Amino acid sequence: MRGKLHPPASNALRRRGACSARASFWALAALGSVAMMAVLAALLFWLSRNPQGSNVVTRKPLVLFCAAGLKPPVEAVARRYERTYGIPVQIQYGGSGTLLSNIRVSHLGDLFLAADESYLKSARELGLVAETIPLALQRPVIVVRSGNPQHIHTLEDLQSGGTRFALANPDAASIGRTVRALLSHTGQWAEFERKVAVFKPTVNEVANDVKLGSVDAGIVWDATAQQYPELEGVHLPIFDGAPETISIGVLRESAQPTAALRFARYLAACDQGLREFGRAHYRITDGDEWAETPEIRLFSGAMLRPGVEQTLKEFERREGCRITTVYNGCGILTAQMRAGERPDAYFACDQSFMSRVADLYGPPATLVDDRLVLLVQKGNPQGLRDVRDLTRPGLRIGLPHHEKSAMGFVAWRMLKAMGLYDQLGPNLKVESPTGDFLVNQMRTGSLDAVIACRSHYTTAQAHLDSLPIDDPLARLDQPFAVGRASRYPQMMARLLDALAAPASRARFESAGFGWRYQPISAP
Amino acid sequence: MKSSDLHAPSPVVQAPPVQARSSADWPFFAALAILSGTYVLLILGMLAADLSFTTPHHLLAALASPEIRFSIKLSLLSCTLTTLLALWVAVPTGYLMSRHEFPGKRFMDAILDIPIVLPPLVIGLSLLILFQTPLGRALQRHVPITYAVPSVILAQFAVACAFAVRTMLVTFDQISPRCEQVALTLGCNRSQAFWRVALPEARRGLLTAGTLAWARALGEFGPILIFSGATRLRTEVLPTTVFLELSIGNIEAAVAVSLIMIVAALAVLTLARGFGLRGPLERVW
Repeated sequence: MRGKLHPPASNALRRRGACSARASFWALAALGSVAMMAVLAALLFWLSRNPQGSNVVTRKPLVLFCAAGLKPPVEAVARRYERTYGIPVQIQYGGSGTLLSNIRVSHLGDLFLAADESYLKSARELGLVAETIPLALQRPVIVVRSGNPQHIHTLEDLQSGGTRFALANPDAASIGRTVRALLSHTGQWAEFERKVAVFKPTVNEVANDVKLGSVDAGIVWDATAQQYPELEGVHLPIFDGAPETISIGVLRESAQPTAALRFARYLAACDQGLREFGRAHYRITDGDEWAETPEIRLFSGAMLRPGVEQTLKEFERREGCRITTVYNGCGILTAQMRAGERPDAYFACDQSFMSRVADLYGPPATLVDDRLVLLVQKGNPQGLRDVRDLTRPGLRIGLPHHEKSAMGFVAWRMLKAMGLYDQLGPNLKVESPTGDFLVNQMRTGSLDAVIACRSHYTTAQAHLDSLPIDDPLARLDQPFAVGRASRYPQMMARLLDALAAPASRARFESAGFGWRYQPISAP
Repeated sequence: MKSSDLHAPSPVVQAPPVQARSSADWPFFAALAILSGTYVLLILGMLAADLSFTTPHHLLAALASPEIRFSIKLSLLSCTLTTLLALWVAVPTGYLMSRHEFPGKRFMDAILDIPIVLPPLVIGLSLLILFQTPLGRALQRHVPITYAVPSVILAQFAVACAFAVRTMLVTFDQISPRCEQVALTLGCNRSQAFWRVALPEARRGLLTAGTLAWARALGEFGPILIFSGATRLRTEVLPTTVFLELSIGNIEAAVAVSLIMIVAALAVLTLARGFGLRGPLERVW
């Protein structure tokens, strides 16, 4: 009788005709699920490739104002960039000073490549240039024809009666300006200027004159001298001590800053543009690696997020890079670094955590600070006066966790120094990994008082009151440092600039942080 | 054998509804109602508390934010992909474990429980370390995983799949192998018996495993925070959003996102159950 069979089996066997239909349904379902997975994977790919607000690099031509002496490497790089990415780079060559005037007058163009830092500095002071990226170093040398027939080895030889020599105009070209600055410093300029046979508008024309024989010598950049096989450079100690940095700057008025920055990054990439500079005998700087869209990884203490988030977003859009930011308690972040994570930069909640991983980072720059405060319920119903009242029996206290969070460590260190930590006893109800959790617990009413930071209070001042803690240990210094293993040290330096900019400062200050940034070296 | 067949709960045969309750049964039903009611009240109480902490304005503001819209999309897509992947692993694993004896089976059984037992943070950390090994790094040179979308799916999969496997294992355990054996005697091979008999019978379990995996994946947070980071517009899923909003003390927005998550989950689960139990699966049967 059928009852002896398991009912589904009996059904199955009774309706064998349906069997194949069912099997094909399940096969279809299996196939369908595979197809659906492919569709989902494609959608996810599309979603992650199209982050809202991402940069769009236009195909409009870029206009670059370039110091004439740099033509050989820059021309080669620009043509390669055009071939690779289809974006034309229109280059206008001239003396650095002449170009600067052009930029001031015309308010056009995207990039400015000057032969020395001073022009970019002037341009920046005039508000013409935003970011700058260093490319290479160069020094002035005396240039003579091969073999040095006149035996010119010193400045005195140059100025001795029979030698005619040329210099580039100090107001038009970088080399002239640099020589004038160096010699004015030693008081030799006035006499030297009188002996100059001819001032030329660019460094190349000085070299051409020596090559043609219209002068016996000239002062040019060391790399320029090396680009002429018929010429040779004579190094002088007075010039060798002060190499000039060649940098490219993105013009503030550029209508396509992301595209401009991208070319500047290409030019300054150690595996692209800088190779060309190396071939042209420049001493190159430590450039970033080239990537069309660099992927940056930033580790940041969770409490810093209100201060940094908007700045990161703007930086990402302007630079055309992608920043993956991992926000977490600093104890967890440093543990991840010990597990092998090598972020491009680390923004720590306190110096004490940065020093735990100091071997992985370059010198840290302290950007902001924060202070510990005592947060109580609105109106201070318990009548607490200061941190010593936390030992009062019956209070429900929360502290940040002293191993997981920097703030917890600082609070713990302070309470230990005050001799209070061990007296908290049963009052201490919770140690939370981040201060925000404490604020949330306060807001739900499950704690009477917590130690957190001023920046936490800023977000919760409608609901809580804060009491200051007057103790030198109640301070967190929050440093930013670039990872030694980062492939993009220059870009990270620009990120630091962005974080140190006035707009970022305003964001930090409105989020309750104190401003601490001091530029490391003001030229 | 037969007695076990009789006692084996069948996923198909419904228990006959209780037609008449004798008056002496009321204390029993009262106890049932009180015990289950307490739990339902607890859940409703939590929802009501959430609602008291937000306003329609906060909900609308949350829905208007591009970050939150992105995290909704990422959550729904990644959970669904994770669920399908989990089922593709869970069905064969459950079937194999339920129907066959092989050396190391007990060991494998224990291994399959590890993701359920481990704290979620540990899973995240383990995944992170795994992808820092030479093999992991080599793989990542071709496909970025850590801190990218694939890491979200992997983190969800690592946990959700364990629950799906458990469910499928119990499901196949509860289905008598007898029908498959009969199918074999009628000329089916193993594969045909699986496709034509075992899988259709396991459809409720399949649905349960799917919904369970989906729900686990949606709620997955700890591993994602460690393994995928909390980058807005990149690896931010809904629980990350809640965390990020909480971490700046914005409880209202955190609650608003939580409510969006609850509504989305209820909608998808109800739809899946309705579709699964009264839709095509049922008709084919």
